[in-house]
Amino acid sequence: MLLTLITGTLAFTAPQQIDTSLAVARGQRLEVNSYGGEIVVRAWNRNTVRIEGNSSAQDRLDITSSATTVSVRTQGRHGPPSEIRLTISAPPWMALTLSGVHTDVKVEGSVAPVTVETVEGDVRVAGGDGLISLRSVQGSVALRGAKGRISVNSVNEGVEVTRSTGDITAGTVNGEISLDQVDASTVDANTVNGDIIYNGPIRNGGRYAFSTHNGDVTLTVAEGTNASVAVSTFNGDFESEFPVPISGTRKGKGFNFTLGNGSSQVTLESFQGTIELIRPGGEKAREIERDRQHERQEERDHDRD
Amino acid sequence: MSDRWVDQLSDYLDGELPANERVALEAHLQTCDDCSEVLDQLRQVVAQARTLGGVPPRRDLWAGIAQRIGATPGRKAAGELAFRPRAPRRWSFSIPQLAAAAIALMTLSGGSVWLLRGPASPGPVATMVPQPTGPVPAINTAVRGAVGGTDSYAQAVADLERVLATGRGQLDSTTVRVIEQNLAAIDRAIAQAQAALKADPSNLYLNSHLAETMRRKLDLLRQAAALASVS
Amino acid sequence: MTELSLEAATLESEQTGRTDPDAVDATLAASGDGTAFERLYRRHISRIYGLARRMITDDDIDEVTQDVFVRAWQKLATFRGESAFGTWLHRLAINVILGRRETLGIRRKRYLDSDAMLELIPARRPGPETALDFESAMARLPDGAREVFVLHDVEGYRHEEIAEMLGLATGTSKSQLHRARMALRQHLDR
Repeated sequence: MLLTLITGTLAFTAPQQIDTSLAVARGQRLEVNSYGGEIVVRAWNRNTVRIEGNSSAQDRLDITSSATTVSVRTQGRHGPPSEIRLTISAPPWMALTLSGVHTDVKVEGSVAPVTVETVEGDVRVAGGDGLISLRSVQGSVALRGAKGRISVNSVNEGVEVTRSTGDITAGTVNGEISLDQVDASTVDANTVNGDIIYNGPIRNGGRYAFSTHNGDVTLTVAEGTNASVAVSTFNGDFESEFPVPISGTRKGKGFNFTLGNGSSQVTLESFQGTIELIRPGGEKAREIERDRQHERQEERDHDRD
Repeated sequence: MSDRWVDQLSDYLDGELPANERVALEAHLQTCDDCSEVLDQLRQVVAQARTLGGVPPRRDLWAGIAQRIGATPGRKAAGELAFRPRAPRRWSFSIPQLAAAAIALMTLSGGSVWLLRGPASPGPVATMVPQPTGPVPAINTAVRGAVGGTDSYAQAVADLERVLATGRGQLDSTTVRVIEQNLAAIDRAIAQAQAALKADPSNLYLNSHLAETMRRKLDLLRQAAALASVS
Repeated sequence: MTELSLEAATLESEQTGRTDPDAVDATLAASGDGTAFERLYRRHISRIYGLARRMITDDDIDEVTQDVFVRAWQKLATFRGESAFGTWLHRLAINVILGRRETLGIRRKRYLDSDAMLELIPARRPGPETALDFESAMARLPDGAREVFVLHDVEGYRHEEIAEMLGLATGTSKSQLHRARMALRQHLDR
């Protein structure tokens, strides 16, 4: 949810234009805490951190630097700080810890660990290497081009991981989970109300757990996949684009089957939705991709406004 | 013909009219022959519909079906697969504990919404009243107490809700609303899982799904309480 | 005794000595027994075909009916035995029949008002009435009203269930039913 941003000039207060740079050394991390507005961190190839921002006269921007940390914090002189758009350029190796309340956070080009926490903002990260933890309560979370131990969480909106590798934990209550073109050996995706879509290889020896209460689970399974699959549902359905060798039923609400040599473990659970297996490039996969393109276009149009 | 009496006749026939409307319609039918005739006709339509039974297809469709499912007569199964043990859950409850925990949780969750809104309406459980003085319990102790069983789970939920109640002024009203809505969504899922479990108490999926959904509620409460206690 | 016959025997004793042939055959068929599935087919085909014939006017009823049984075969592994097999199969058939249409937009146009509906059904011609007349009149109803009528009055579902299946408000289901009945009054068999 994008909130109104403070523009360059306010009629009644003299805004402060901030533009300051500090030299940084390997081993330092960047911490930014901004109560509202936007935090944008872009990587550049200099060992310098440059901080640009607009703030009203009521607010203060505290920038400190210690041996381990460059810290940027917004402070309000009277009450909580108003909304600030902070644009920060930092070297790609700098680990990032970015937080706020009514804050949207955007990161581009990092090859370091990234931690983001916001309450009422969206999180958009392109990059990240190592421990990546992105969290919002009311906003959506989207990560792409990341590598490492990935954890993406929202409460009210969806989470999405694209073109990333590593171990992935994705959780939301009210939103959907989309894991697209990911290469993961461990996946734990959990939502209450939303759908889960997974498009990526299922690696030998990997563990993949998908669980939703009300939504559907759609799993892409390439030919030659080796998986021991356990499907559980109370009131839902199972569908597959290819024949599935169900050779036994468990007494109760589920069944198992094996693909190939069964070397990975796949758990598919939906309390009352549809669990569906699709082929890469198949009809459903193409439909999902079309929807994704459409959504991406909408988001680009929205960002332009 | 759009006559407000005639428009009610189907609902009347099906017993779908609320009592006051039914009485009014019946009074009208006493005096209106046209409406009574339409009612009779509708009854006959329904009666005729009920006589419609199965219809065998003109040609036997089995061959086509058999071919599509690849069924050959008399083929028996290869034998049941052994039940594969599930990945260990992070949260363990014994099966009887779960049923009890879910009941306790539902009692509590009625109170949690009240807590977040403030004491606009009386809460159902006295222990939910936020304490005006005294130290607010640290989040960590609440969380640590949460692993293990019904009582400590219920205690953890209560502790977190107390923290939330004390600190709810810290939270934006839209945030409070979103958290309440999502707690309610999780509560609904818990209730559904609980209902399913009553019919099939030894179902392993339902048990673990209920435990996982309860854990999600705790996680959300923990997250909300952490937000609320930031000064 | 094979493993499966044992299970069938267990089902039998679980139901206090009375065997429910559907339950037994469903268990066998879920494990791949085509002969058991054929028995289920024979027992339920008339009901399913009748449903399909009344719900569908614009498609190959034979093919859709086959689709239903093929889908039932695929989903048998998830038949939990909570409801009777016939009930489960009937629900599945409705899903298959309704799932043939792609866009909700088309479905919305199916709910016409009563005046438009009356025009679709030609005035009754004098002459010997046959049961086919009523069913022909049903076939001429707009799709949405006919579906509600079939599901409610012929098949016995409640408005809440119908609303859920067709993606309607309960109120719409009730008004469509009323209009279908009003239109069919003229075509009762005497």
